[in-house]
Amino acid sequence: MNTVAMPSVHYLVILPEIILTVAAVGLLIASSLVPGRLRSSVGTGVTVIASACVVVDCVFQWVDISRHGPSTTMAHVIIEDGFSVVAISVLAVSLGLSALVADGWLCRERIEGVELHVLVLASAAGAIMMAQANDLVVIFLGLEIMSIGLYVLAAFDRRSARSGEAAMKYFLLGGFSSAIFVYGIALVYGATGTTQLGQLAGFLSANVLRSQGLLLAGTALLLVGFAFKVAAVPFHVWSPDVYEGSPTPIVGFMAAIVKVGAFAAVLRVLASGLFTQQDGWRPMVFALAALSMLVGAGMATVQRNVKRMLAYSSISHAGFVLLALWAASPRGTAAALYYLATYALLVVGSFAVVTVVSADGHEDLTSYRGLARRRPLLACSFTVLLVAQAGVPFTTGFLAKLGVIESAVEHLGWPGVALGVIAMVATAVSGYFYLRVVVLTYAAPLDASPAAATASTLATSRPRARLAALGSGILVEDTRDGELVDHAEVYGAAPANGETAVPLATAVAIAVCVVPTVVLGVWAGPLVELTTRATMLFHP
Amino acid sequence: MTIPAAWYLIVSALLFGIGATGVLVRRNALVMFMCIELMLNAANLALVTFARVLHDVGGQATVFFVLVVAAAEVTVGLGIVVAIFRTRHSAVVDDLHELQG
Amino acid sequence: MAIVDQYLPILGMLVLGALFASASFVASSVLAPHRKPTESKLAPYECGIVPELESPPRFPVRFYLVAMIFVIFDIEIVFLYPFAVEFKALGGFGVVEIGLFSVVVFATLLFLVAEGALSWGPVKRLTKAMPSRTSDSTIARITPRPTDRAA
Repeated sequence: MNTVAMPSVHYLVILPEIILTVAAVGLLIASSLVPGRLRSSVGTGVTVIASACVVVDCVFQWVDISRHGPSTTMAHVIIEDGFSVVAISVLAVSLGLSALVADGWLCRERIEGVELHVLVLASAAGAIMMAQANDLVVIFLGLEIMSIGLYVLAAFDRRSARSGEAAMKYFLLGGFSSAIFVYGIALVYGATGTTQLGQLAGFLSANVLRSQGLLLAGTALLLVGFAFKVAAVPFHVWSPDVYEGSPTPIVGFMAAIVKVGAFAAVLRVLASGLFTQQDGWRPMVFALAALSMLVGAGMATVQRNVKRMLAYSSISHAGFVLLALWAASPRGTAAALYYLATYALLVVGSFAVVTVVSADGHEDLTSYRGLARRRPLLACSFTVLLVAQAGVPFTTGFLAKLGVIESAVEHLGWPGVALGVIAMVATAVSGYFYLRVVVLTYAAPLDASPAAATASTLATSRPRARLAALGSGILVEDTRDGELVDHAEVYGAAPANGETAVPLATAVAIAVCVVPTVVLGVWAGPLVELTTRATMLFHP
Repeated sequence: MTIPAAWYLIVSALLFGIGATGVLVRRNALVMFMCIELMLNAANLALVTFARVLHDVGGQATVFFVLVVAAAEVTVGLGIVVAIFRTRHSAVVDDLHELQG
Repeated sequence: MAIVDQYLPILGMLVLGALFASASFVASSVLAPHRKPTESKLAPYECGIVPELESPPRFPVRFYLVAMIFVIFDIEIVFLYPFAVEFKALGGFGVVEIGLFSVVVFATLLFLVAEGALSWGPVKRLTKAMPSRTSDSTIARITPRPTDRAA
């Protein structure tokens, strides 16, 4: 009788997945056994508690790492290092906040049941798996666990035809990208004989391949698969449609989870596993980063729908993280991690505000007109979130952009400088469309006039990229926005209907997103320190 | 007589190409699903071939996971198609044009 | 001869399969009640125009849903196969792992049953919606309102 060597399991490391899976399966069983529909607030409670438990587990893991150093477990396919721990805690916080936002939405839409929470928990477990995977197959499994849950979540609003359409598009492009990804795994496996990133790095540093073709093709396919997932240009076409059609609280969750999980995995694959092949993949990342930043920011300026605008802005953000990936240095990794941590909070918070404001189904930018008079606190929060995404100083967004640009420019030579310049141009352009919304928010509200709403949307959507940017990436606002507001004043029709109160859970979530954005933007030390210390195991 | 491994790889690359072309060219959602499945199975064939060449069981074990994931994906996809079909009575992707900007 | 030895179990499976299939046919012909339906009994409609072509069968959506659920449960078994092969070598750890796996799989089955995804037959909601059947409600059911048709 042959025996199988049992891999040792360090349960502290895989506890996040265990917690989330147990919570999901437990909710599923409870909802099947309880007569009638389980109340959705039960699901929210369980999800928030589970995400809090994961954060606590992350603290223990951090202590474990600082005592014993980073390690691998389960036959080296799961890794425990500072990078994974920070990424997991960001994912867990996004999960908890999204559950709070979704709670208000579920109440408003009168949807009972815990299916949404089960799917959200499962998706987050997949993303966490990606963040700590040290093997291409495990990354693939995490990617699919995350994505399959998200396909269903995109279709969650069954009364809306747009939701189904968004899910269909997301599914087709997602399936396509995972097939490409698997083929990439197959080619890398064929070239090196392993899928495990540590062995991969060891093999490639010890051997010189006779022909680079197979490995290069595999790397390219892996990168294309990832680019689809994080919606990097030119693989971004699904993203605005999916963001527009899917239920709004889900979009915030989707944007945060997918970006953090997929970027954590791609950073580990490229900067750790395939580090020696960087001459092969860095040009591709260069193109992806430059195109994503420019096209994302450019297209966002002409959007009329706030969700589409945020979709293009998230494409632009993906470009910034790719910039840090291109740097392929420990500093770049730290900058990317900082960017992801701040971006996750900003995007969840932004979509939480959109969930509240677009309660009547109007996602047009004009419905933000005069928000400051109607709901000063909400408008103030939205301002902070957008201004931070634009990268204005004294917010975390500024430090994030500064970090990635620095990590790229650190590479002397034209490509790094070119990317830095492109990033600053993109920042300047993005400043325009973020601040356009902010100005609209503080504009005087109008009486609902019968003037054609289409005229007002035309007025707001006309691209005006007349911006001046200071060299350091800090930008000044275009004074022409005043003119823009006048246009809207002439034609505009802001909904002046009775406002419903912001649900408490959503308000808490928005506050949790806004406060760190300002506090950590001013008192920058701790988070920067944390991400800098959160190094990757096997990082050269 | 054994068939050289390169032949399997060529077949796998062909299947992958046919699948990818199909996804990009065809407009029926169900046919697009089938093409995605074809791509995944091409990857499976490549994995098994490499596992055979390298005398390593890892590639074959990976195929298990890919198979299960493909089945899960297709189930979700068909569920979405059924949900859309109930409201639209069409599985042609070009008919889905509500979301454009 | 070694090759023949290797393929002998497969041959045995083929023979067993053929035996089982033929036995089922024989058993059904022996056990089933013998009624000779007339030709008009087999026709789709007992009166009216004789159909020239077979109309394509219509499956309810429920059929597709159950088929999809079957696909997913069917493929889960693939994980049981390696476990069954290396059952002894894996020992207690393997039993615990496969037990956990089964719990998760059966939890989803439980959910499906609770949601009514597997209940066949006429949809019960139709009768629940009309507790007191009147002539009005029946007419409403036979001729759907224009809004229903649009939906």
